[in-house]
Amino acid sequence: MMRSLIKSLLAFTLGAAPWFAMAATPQAPAASAAPGTEQYESVPMPPGFQVVVSELEGPVFADASGRTLYQWPVKTLRNGAVGERKRQPTCDHTKYRVNSGLMSPYPPGLELPEVDTRPSCLDVWPAVIAGSDAKAIGKWSVIERKDGIRQWAYDGNALYTSVLDEQPGDVYGGTFRRTGGDAPGERKPIGPPSMIPPQFTIVPSLAGRMLVTSDARSVYAYAKDAPGKSNCLADCARQWTPVLAPAYAKDRGEFSIVQREPGIRQWAFRNQPLYTRVADEKARTQSGSDVPDWSNVYTQRAPAPPADFTTQDSVSGIVLADKQGKTVYLYNCGDDALDQLACDHPDSPQAYRFTVCGAGDPQRCLENFPYVLAAKGAKSNNRIWSVMQIDPMTGKRAAPGQPGALSVWAFRKRPVYTMFRDSKPGDVQGDTWGEFYGLRNGYKAFWLRDDFGNGGE
Amino acid sequence: MNRSQRLLQRPLVSLILGALALPLLTGAAPTNGPAADDWKPPGGRIGYVLWDEYWGIRETADAKEECPQGFNIGPREQFAILYPQNGKPHKLVDSQLAYEADVWFPTTKPDRFEFHEATGKYALGIDLDGKNSPEDFVSDDGRTGIDNELFRVVGCVRNYRKEGELGIITTKWRQQNPFNRVTFELTNVDSLKNDPEVTVSYYRTSDHLLSGTTGNFLPGGSQRIDGRWGKRFTATTRGRIVDGVLETDPFDLELPEWALSDPSIIKFKGTKLRLALTPERAEGVLGGYADVEQWYYAMNTSWATHHAAYGQASAPSIYRALRRRADGYPDPKTGENTAISAVMDIKLAQVYVIHPDQAADRPTDMPARGATN
Repeated sequence: MMRSLIKSLLAFTLGAAPWFAMAATPQAPAASAAPGTEQYESVPMPPGFQVVVSELEGPVFADASGRTLYQWPVKTLRNGAVGERKRQPTCDHTKYRVNSGLMSPYPPGLELPEVDTRPSCLDVWPAVIAGSDAKAIGKWSVIERKDGIRQWAYDGNALYTSVLDEQPGDVYGGTFRRTGGDAPGERKPIGPPSMIPPQFTIVPSLAGRMLVTSDARSVYAYAKDAPGKSNCLADCARQWTPVLAPAYAKDRGEFSIVQREPGIRQWAFRNQPLYTRVADEKARTQSGSDVPDWSNVYTQRAPAPPADFTTQDSVSGIVLADKQGKTVYLYNCGDDALDQLACDHPDSPQAYRFTVCGAGDPQRCLENFPYVLAAKGAKSNNRIWSVMQIDPMTGKRAAPGQPGALSVWAFRKRPVYTMFRDSKPGDVQGDTWGEFYGLRNGYKAFWLRDDFGNGGE
Repeated sequence: MNRSQRLLQRPLVSLILGALALPLLTGAAPTNGPAADDWKPPGGRIGYVLWDEYWGIRETADAKEECPQGFNIGPREQFAILYPQNGKPHKLVDSQLAYEADVWFPTTKPDRFEFHEATGKYALGIDLDGKNSPEDFVSDDGRTGIDNELFRVVGCVRNYRKEGELGIITTKWRQQNPFNRVTFELTNVDSLKNDPEVTVSYYRTSDHLLSGTTGNFLPGGSQRIDGRWGKRFTATTRGRIVDGVLETDPFDLELPEWALSDPSIIKFKGTKLRLALTPERAEGVLGGYADVEQWYYAMNTSWATHHAAYGQASAPSIYRALRRRADGYPDPKTGENTAISAVMDIKLAQVYVIHPDQAADRPTDMPARGATN
């Protein structure tokens, strides 16, 4: 366990690639991206758009100001679907006042919290406006909305920015990570294709963007290999299968081909020969990284959390924890109005969270799901982690200098929490706590690895 | 008569046939000496992996015996009564979120709904406390002092009966998700028919079940002990085998219970097993005092209100009944009982337990680690 813990911490530390945002001119590949960040394929783009390599989500499209672009994919909920079909944007200026009844067993028509100040969809998801001279190119096109607005679309789906994003590289409005069937109908960032051979794909997770084969087998690197040379031979190669490149494959970006022996070509990433593991029983697993000298391969590691955090083994995998070893939880929330606005951040209504952390009582919430407090002067060396000032009684951002405000750690501009029922390191009593398994109004553990398939959602 | 009783009372010939069949299935040769019905497992060691479980509810035809007042209503029905759609608008905070607040932070205030507890003289289970109290049940085979207060709580909640979604899904995941895999291993066994002292060890294990072509589960598989994530589950007790039935001394046991979306754990204190053993399988009951708070929150994190509504399982009403019926492990300060006697009706298949130090049985790249005997 200790070895694993150290290994995980090391992985986090070593994987702390500096956040890198770059503007690419249309058509230009970003092959010169900062070390440790993911490269992407060149795609045609209209003038005024760019690619930014974000800290957690990798390369994303952004507007001229660097604001990440999002779509709202169709998602089927319990009693109906939300989201937008191609060329049919529904996010508009309507200010919904009641829930839609899409999440049983609760009926529609219930008045939403803070209804008088509730924004419209377009208030929080500004449409990406196309100028009168905008021209379609590649997958980019222009949609004429019902309200007369000309809006950019990608692959037919309307594009938006998020009011939560403040700087280039911020992707606080949504995530590529899988979020679960009963999670809200969320917006998803969009970006160019990753520069990876078609034999591979990427699994986005809280630990980073993990490389797997196209049939979802985890890909590993061997510490005893030399750059561009495999030392996994004979019995080793019977347990760790080299990922072979077809005869027509060529080096591209950070992928290269290693000659194991004449005619036997093995893929390498950043000069590390790549393998799958015969003993892996599951797809997308990290279990092979328990074997000494072997590790999963990431195109981009998640930024390291601040020094106030640790990692712990649980009954299901590895979780992020506070300094005392208590598991850290993320709070998820989306309301049940037709526009599915988020309620998971301090600028949104807190009535949902207060319900599942303290039966509506903010004081009980502080006891049951306390914030992870940041020491005075604590700072993060990346943007994905930050220190926020929170009014503990409202759960919202505190005004500058507000008495009684708490300095709390936040991930993606959302505070993180521990949980009152966890008594020892590795306890995950708060995982899936709240409505719909913690996916819609509740808490999920900060899973860095889950060997049983639960942590992805 | 339920399936456990049937097995416990089945003819001896069946046991003999089973004993004879095992070597054919597994290649395990009976040791010298004992008759076929008095079989000694190789090395005095035999494992059983859990593949089927239901909360111990003694169900009668149309539930007339145990639920004479019918079944309980669930969240959907309760919500409709509390917040009728009669033209008067409701605020989400005062209705949906108020109901969810009761789910996550229940109270013992009087229930607003009539709750039907299961009744009757008979129940599945074990005498956990060695007493024959007025609230205790009698087993179908005449044992007295049966402790199973959880039967009263959930016996008339559809979700917990065999027709209920919980039963179906829980068993399905018990079979399909390795998170839930647990195995008992009996050691120091001189006879599977009568042995005054055996050691019973309990492990979380890592492997798939050996399944047959018709959806059944077969003996003869193997289970590696999960030394990576499963150390906390390891437990050991002593037991005895009398006429082919294993009974154990009480021990504390944690049961991993991944259902729909959560690594839940049921914590039993003072657990006892009563299992009819054959060389190829075991059936019977696991009884113990379930920690009430843990049981309740494992239920909630495993069953959202939406899914609980399918089986008419109202969490706030169940909580009140749990606290009302809790019958063990009083809190030293308040005197309130913190645990409730509970029973699981279980089935297990014989397996070979692979310990971490059995190097020949693991991939050569895997380091020995974690739990041992």
